[in-house]
Amino acid sequence: MIEFQSVSKKYSADALALSDVSLNIARGELVYLAGPSGAGKSTLMKMVAAIERPTSGRVTVNGQDIGKLKKAGVPFLRRNLGLIFQHQRLLNDRNLLANVMLPLIVTGAPKAQAAERARAALDKVGMLDRARALPMELSGGEQQRVAIARAIVNRPQIILADEPTANLDRAAADRVIDALHAFHAAGVTCVISSHDEQILDSGARVIRLEHGMLVGGGA
Amino acid sequence: MNIWFRQHRFAFGAALATVRKSPGSFLFNVLVVAVALALPFAGVTLLDNVRPLSEQLSVDPEISLFMKPGVAREDARALAPQLQQLLAGNHAKISFIPREQALDDLKDKSGGLDDVISTLGDNPLPDSYVMKLDGFAATSSAEAARVDLLADHMRQLPGVDSVQVDSAWVKRLAALLGVLRLALLLLAVTLGVVVIAVVFNTVRLQVLTQREEIAVSKLLGATDNFIHRPFYYTGALLGLGAGAVALGGVALALRPLNTAVGEFARLYASDFQLMALPPLAIVGLLAISAALGLVGAMLSVQRHLARLK
Repeated sequence: MIEFQSVSKKYSADALALSDVSLNIARGELVYLAGPSGAGKSTLMKMVAAIERPTSGRVTVNGQDIGKLKKAGVPFLRRNLGLIFQHQRLLNDRNLLANVMLPLIVTGAPKAQAAERARAALDKVGMLDRARALPMELSGGEQQRVAIARAIVNRPQIILADEPTANLDRAAADRVIDALHAFHAAGVTCVISSHDEQILDSGARVIRLEHGMLVGGGA
Repeated sequence: MNIWFRQHRFAFGAALATVRKSPGSFLFNVLVVAVALALPFAGVTLLDNVRPLSEQLSVDPEISLFMKPGVAREDARALAPQLQQLLAGNHAKISFIPREQALDDLKDKSGGLDDVISTLGDNPLPDSYVMKLDGFAATSSAEAARVDLLADHMRQLPGVDSVQVDSAWVKRLAALLGVLRLALLLLAVTLGVVVIAVVFNTVRLQVLTQREEIAVSKLLGATDNFIHRPFYYTGALLGLGAGAVALGGVALALRPLNTAVGEFARLYASDFQLMALPPLAIVGLLAISAALGLVGAMLSVQRHLARLK
């Protein structure tokens, strides 16, 4: 489902973010990306979402070559992805329901249908009773659960979670990971980056990166 | 309801929501743009009122020849062949106006002064000829000189009291209106650029304010069109609102202006009044205002969103 073939990414002559990375992630798989800060985890995730393009090599997602993907095709690729960010990136001027509806609204879904599916997504992460609250009224862990609801509302084929438990206490981090595992169990491909060894120790495949190079788990 | 219509409805709603969030700022921008639009709109209104007057006036050279008082009707009519000879090759239309007909025409056009004219007793008007010359270039000075030369020849004819070439002022009026139209066009273009610049800056600030929302929407699969549309609607709404305010301002200004214009027109026995623009022209100007707002928004969005990755 996700394939990297000898992928390198240079931001400038001195800044090599990824170096000759090759890996495969199968449909329905749960994979962790591990490595210290600056290892290239975020760059790898950004390439899957076509936020960045490879300098050399080939990245394919759902059979689409990211390097050759036209600008107009990027939104349609992203509609099959659920993106979860370290800092949630919820819109503070609208309530949780509106935040979770947004991925459906951008596709032109009817408002009533979008609201219904957003409520269902909030229910799955245990946040339905706060649907009318603003993001700033929530704790970090609650905000991350809302971000997960937003990521899954479109029923994506792939969830990309970039350090979703950073800045969360252990209990909140566990709830976030449990939620992601639940979606994986439902058949969604999940790629989760983290440097929390306790989370990585869950039995799933761990792809390790260091200084932009693959050092383990790429097969 | 198809997706295209739903997305436009969403974009329009998003534009209205932006206006509702900061109505004071939006109204201020509407007023700034309205001030820029009011001047050309006032000019269009003025020209629209004056144009029918100017179109009623002929710009073809017209020569009026007045006989001396007491010249016999037969002698006056005998002048016709000589005039035809003078005007040979000029596609002229020569009309003899007997003094009785001239008096009747005067009564008809006097605007209620026929009672006063009736008190004159004897008809004071002379027999006359009116000669219309077709095929002359109205603004050509060489042609005008030729008409003046013809008039000089006519003054030498027996029994002729005076000869008037009465197209000159009409030519000047036509030329003046031409200059006014050109000046108005230049003014409209200049102020149109001002409108575009104001909308451009307004939308730029909105793009900066909504930077995070735009970035998140893009990551969630929003197309460029989806992101651009609310700004386009905001620009068009700004232009439309400003156009309406400007037209309203011009319409309000007509009242006090008409008081002064009415007094002036009465001195010339006219009931001329400045009228508001017809509905079709109003719709046209509102459409132009909205289009200017839209253009400003499009330029701004394309410039500033390209910088947001």
